[in-house]
Amino acid sequence: MSDESKSCSCQSPEGEPSAVRSTMPMWIIVITLVLVFLGAVYFDRYGGWFDRQVYGPYTSAYQLEEYQPKSGAAAAAAQGKRVYESVCGVCHGPDGLGKPGQAPPLAGSEWVNTKGFDRLAHIPLTGLNGPMQVEGKDWSLSMAPMGAALSDADLAAVLTYIRNSWGNKAGEVTTDDVKAVRAALGARPQPINGGQLKAMPE
Amino acid sequence: MIVNETNKANPTASEVDASLRVPLLALFGGAAVWLVVGSVLALIASIKFHAPDFLADCPLLTYGRVQPAADDALLYGFCIPAGLGVMLWLFAHLGQVPLRGAIVPAVAANLWHLGVFIGLAAILLGDSTGFAWLEFPRAGSVLLFFAYLLLALWATMNFAGRRERALYPSHWFLVAALFWFPWIYSTANLLLVAWPVRGVVQAVIGWWFADNLVFVWLALVGIGAAFYFLPKYAGRPLQGYYLALYAFWLLILFGSWCGIPLGAPVPAWLPSISSFAAMMTLVSVLSVGVIMCKTLCGGKKCATLGGPYCFIRFGLGSFLISALMFIAMACPKFNLLTQSTWFGPAQTQLQLYGFFAMTMFGAIYHLLPRVVGFEWPFPRLARLQFWLSMAGVVLLVVPLAVGGVVQGIKLNNPGVAFLDAAQATLFWFRFSTTGLLLMLVGNLLFALNIFGLTTVWKFALVKKAIAMVKAPLEIAEVKA
Amino acid sequence: MKNGCYIFLAAFIALGGSWLGLVYGPVHQLGGAKQTMVLNSSDTYPLQRPGDAALGLQVYRANGCAACHTRKVRQTGMACNVELMNAGKNPVAVTNLISSLSLTNLTKEEADQVAGQITSAGGKSEIHIVATGPDIARGWGMRQSVAEDYLYDAPVQLGSLRAGPDLANIGVRAPDANWQLTHLYAPTGEVKGSTMPPFRYLFELRKTGGTPSPEALQFPKDFALPDGYEVVPTPEAKQLAAYLLSLRANAPLYNAPISP
Repeated sequence: MSDESKSCSCQSPEGEPSAVRSTMPMWIIVITLVLVFLGAVYFDRYGGWFDRQVYGPYTSAYQLEEYQPKSGAAAAAAQGKRVYESVCGVCHGPDGLGKPGQAPPLAGSEWVNTKGFDRLAHIPLTGLNGPMQVEGKDWSLSMAPMGAALSDADLAAVLTYIRNSWGNKAGEVTTDDVKAVRAALGARPQPINGGQLKAMPE
Repeated sequence: MIVNETNKANPTASEVDASLRVPLLALFGGAAVWLVVGSVLALIASIKFHAPDFLADCPLLTYGRVQPAADDALLYGFCIPAGLGVMLWLFAHLGQVPLRGAIVPAVAANLWHLGVFIGLAAILLGDSTGFAWLEFPRAGSVLLFFAYLLLALWATMNFAGRRERALYPSHWFLVAALFWFPWIYSTANLLLVAWPVRGVVQAVIGWWFADNLVFVWLALVGIGAAFYFLPKYAGRPLQGYYLALYAFWLLILFGSWCGIPLGAPVPAWLPSISSFAAMMTLVSVLSVGVIMCKTLCGGKKCATLGGPYCFIRFGLGSFLISALMFIAMACPKFNLLTQSTWFGPAQTQLQLYGFFAMTMFGAIYHLLPRVVGFEWPFPRLARLQFWLSMAGVVLLVVPLAVGGVVQGIKLNNPGVAFLDAAQATLFWFRFSTTGLLLMLVGNLLFALNIFGLTTVWKFALVKKAIAMVKAPLEIAEVKA
Repeated sequence: MKNGCYIFLAAFIALGGSWLGLVYGPVHQLGGAKQTMVLNSSDTYPLQRPGDAALGLQVYRANGCAACHTRKVRQTGMACNVELMNAGKNPVAVTNLISSLSLTNLTKEEADQVAGQITSAGGKSEIHIVATGPDIARGWGMRQSVAEDYLYDAPVQLGSLRAGPDLANIGVRAPDANWQLTHLYAPTGEVKGSTMPPFRYLFELRKTGGTPSPEALQFPKDFALPDGYEVVPTPEAKQLAAYLLSLRANAPLYNAPISP
């Protein structure tokens, strides 16, 4: 190949190359930052946040839990838990312990652990105006009829959930039960107060 | 050879080159052999798709052994030794210090080739480890590891003792590469072969190793070499010291996290991180592309058609394309189409041969005559090799990639029987097999040139030895 | 960077970072993996492969089967199907309700809604979780492959190319040992047009003695052996067949939930 070197000096180049210290094109930095941002968003969405059990296409541990096949009682309990967390747990706490000045506890409450469901079912359907005693403490708050907007199935599920969680051990409440109570109450029931509630049969 | 009476403190370029003679001939000579062996094995493997009965009764040549052997022969037999040789030359040449104690790297080179031989024999005899790109069992891999350590040590000592202290961008890439291989190779062998970890994490470590070797290490050495030869031949300085630095940092920082394929049976965070890293590696690839374009634009136009300049340019261009293919495979939508299809092997072959091997050819065609002190015995064959290898790579990679996409489309359609998808790719294989044949011929020409040059040198050595033996006799006779 | 030390440091940081993230991290998280429970059952998963099958894994490795076959099922989505279990006290209303609803391929929220509607109408329904994706639709598995599927494999060979079909559940699709062996001996005999090479060297073609060997392969009708000859598998072939038959990965697990 060097037989042509005499004619064209670029054939056997001598002298070591050098590097020009020119400024970097700005658009490369911009692209880098954009890609970092997009990548972070992507990882946040699809990375499962380092959870050992989350495999794609599941995107979070919560979603994986959601998609666990549940049968019968487990399914109802899951439904009840879901309704509780979105409707009741805001005030009564995720662990049913309530908060002073906000809502009385449901865990171990004598109003929950009743033989029947009738009295309990009234509370979310009509709303409640204090004062009343719960687990030996006085409560003087008012509760809106949070269960009025729920379907019969949902309300039954959440009541069953409350009656069987956090140490509570009471029977389930079926959809028919809730339907019956709702029918008996009529169109726009008035909020019940503590005294009326105590007087009702369980 | 005329005895040089220059000042010992300032070795000339030819002295520096001469010091590398024996190690480089050992490295490149063996590399040329493995290149041809690998091509033959790859061709056999490819033919088996057209005629499954071809050599089927020989257990040593069953597809599942021949294909990994061909890949490893190319990577460990040719790419890594050629890369090490070019690295040694670049360090010595840029630092202007000859390689001292060159017998050790020469021995190490032979140890490496022995390790490759043992490893390839083991694969063909059924003793492979079962991990992609890590098939050599302990006997071979230990030899490879220590041979590399010796060569890296000598290169490091040469680099540390350099006379020209200023660092050129190629230095960053090459020094990083020296450091890269021992860590990944030892980790992979310890955790997968010696004391295997349990369960699917073996696959994770295997993917980490394959990515860091086939993508990062080859990129480091190939780009390091290309950044030296490109400006030299273009007659312009490398366009962008800081851009090159940026490309280097992003390559090592993010390139090392790629490799876990999407949809792998591992927790979702692993493939997601790899995809994220692949996106960031895109910036490094873009930077290299910008540097290449800017350095070439306005550079010298004249070049021997088929000379080292052509090899280097084709090589770096192939790097850009193969890296883009690699990054595309990490994108979710494209991944759904091409994962587990022939698109993957197409990308790997483009990277190994189209990028790295072609860059090494260009570098070796440039440096070996300077090192050995003689010109190539068959310069026209060397130029012919460029055309054969280039045509071969294009014929191999493009149809394979297209075939992979076709296969992916069919596989994603549950209504299409698997056999139809497999049959559809056979059409594209015909081109790929032809490409492999062309590459084999090209590689033979390369080996021919290397051995021709070695023979010329040895012949000259013998002639010199004979002359030295003869000469004193005449003087003594005269005196007597 | 002016100094060789800085380059070394840069490389160390970069490679060290990826080592921490992709080697140390996963070993820490997945390396101590143990058996897990099959969903809604007291069975553990996976079970150790019996002797022949474990040896078959080594035959699989030695012959490089992973060069053409993958062993990983991929899932691209999940869906819920609602199934009516009990029409309850009001079957007409429930039936009318069902005919107006879409019951398959729903998201979880939609399925919950539908199930709630059925419950309100008095019926009882169950939600079935299924996996979706091209691999699943192709019958290569009922759920995606997860870490537990490879717990007892050494080496783990997932494969990276599908020149041949995925083998994660081949033991479910082709549970017949004879089929596996005849397919290994002559793939085109079982699958016309197959590109898989024949593995005749794993077998012995020999003259039938007085009585045919009980291990002789039964070939399909149109596959002709020379008269008076039979094909007998070597121990390696039998081990490989045992391994392939042991490849089942359909058990529902917590991280790959499907309804049983």
